[in-house]
Amino acid sequence: MARVPIIRVGDILLATIQEDLHDSDALAMQEALTTQLERTGARGVLLDFTTVQTVDSFLGRMLNDVVAAIRLLGATTVVVGIQPAVAVTLVELGLELKGIQTALDAERGMRLLGMGIDTNRRHR
Amino acid sequence: MSDAQLDLRIPIDGEDSIIAARQRARQLAQSLGFGALDQSRIATAVSELARNVVRYATDGKGEALIRPLPEGKGGLEVVVSDAGPGIADVDQALGDGFTSGRGLGMGLPGTRRLMDEMEIDSGPGRGTIVTIRKWRR
Amino acid sequence: MKDQERSATQLIEEQRATINELQTPVIEVWDGILALPIVGSVDTARAQDMNERLLDRIIQTRSEIVILDITAVPVVDTAVAKHLLETVSSARLLGAEVLIVGLSSKTAMTLVHLGLDLGGVITRTTLAKGLELAFERLGLRVVASESSRDGRQS
Repeated sequence: MARVPIIRVGDILLATIQEDLHDSDALAMQEALTTQLERTGARGVLLDFTTVQTVDSFLGRMLNDVVAAIRLLGATTVVVGIQPAVAVTLVELGLELKGIQTALDAERGMRLLGMGIDTNRRHR
Repeated sequence: MSDAQLDLRIPIDGEDSIIAARQRARQLAQSLGFGALDQSRIATAVSELARNVVRYATDGKGEALIRPLPEGKGGLEVVVSDAGPGIADVDQALGDGFTSGRGLGMGLPGTRRLMDEMEIDSGPGRGTIVTIRKWRR
Repeated sequence: MKDQERSATQLIEEQRATINELQTPVIEVWDGILALPIVGSVDTARAQDMNERLLDRIIQTRSEIVILDITAVPVVDTAVAKHLLETVSSARLLGAEVLIVGLSSKTAMTLVHLGLDLGGVITRTTLAKGLELAFERLGLRVVASESSRDGRQS
């Protein structure tokens, strides 16, 4: 059973989601993130999906839940690293993760969080 | 006619088996020449069906049978079966209202969209057999 | 005999891939902006192929804006609209925004009558307008240079 590592960078929490996350690990991650948010007062969370090759409806719903919980705690989430195959599958499953900020990779995600999310003006 | 040696039987009996089943399905898909997108579709579909077994079947037990299809351009078939309570109304389960919801629903419409063919053999008290197929294009 | 069959099939597959690419090339019109001019009708197979190539290109070029040009798509019905929306949604998951350009008044009316409003996707009537918006999004501006067009210094 692999746990999802959560790292703190400034006032941002970074969680790297591993491929083949067990359901219990996913729930543990939800708990860990919300607990850490409360404890550290972090204002942003970066969820890195770069190594994830399969996202089914369970993981999709869990993701929606964790983003909602983070929002309730006054922080912003950015999901990064979604692979083309995963993106297409999510959309075909009808789980486009509406209302969740996304970026290409961790670098872009950090920039999005660092500059405050203003979708009208993005800089490279 | 199919090479039975390539058939993979994976018992479903808990979280680990959901992951095992979808990993094996992905591996077979890859070896059969399916592209990355189709591999993901297949892995996701198998994950959905295996999860239904864990969630709804008696003792959460069942089986996934993964096999190559030799006809035409070739394809892959997965048969997920269990001896659970069965689906009372298959048509309703296939309707889109049963897709989302918090842990409810069996994700069957979504699974159907990912695959080329899906057959459901189920009824109250007689278990469930879901067969899905995807063909090389 | 079987080998001949296999290589003929392979050849057809390769040619099909080439045709797909030629029909719907993904063009990097600017650093971070991709354009996808679609010519002709869009069926599921073509839409999926187009989408897959677009997503790979988004990653390769790290583009944040995609302009889907449907000027040359003759019929935009529910099925085509669904494919376009899927492209928008999947590109968004990769952090890219998709603008749809080239909607004719006829298409606009068709979509309205079908009860489809493209779910809030941003549209413009021409590629040029779409490009203008893309530059704006990226915080870029096009400015005339000091020397005049025909080469004379001012």
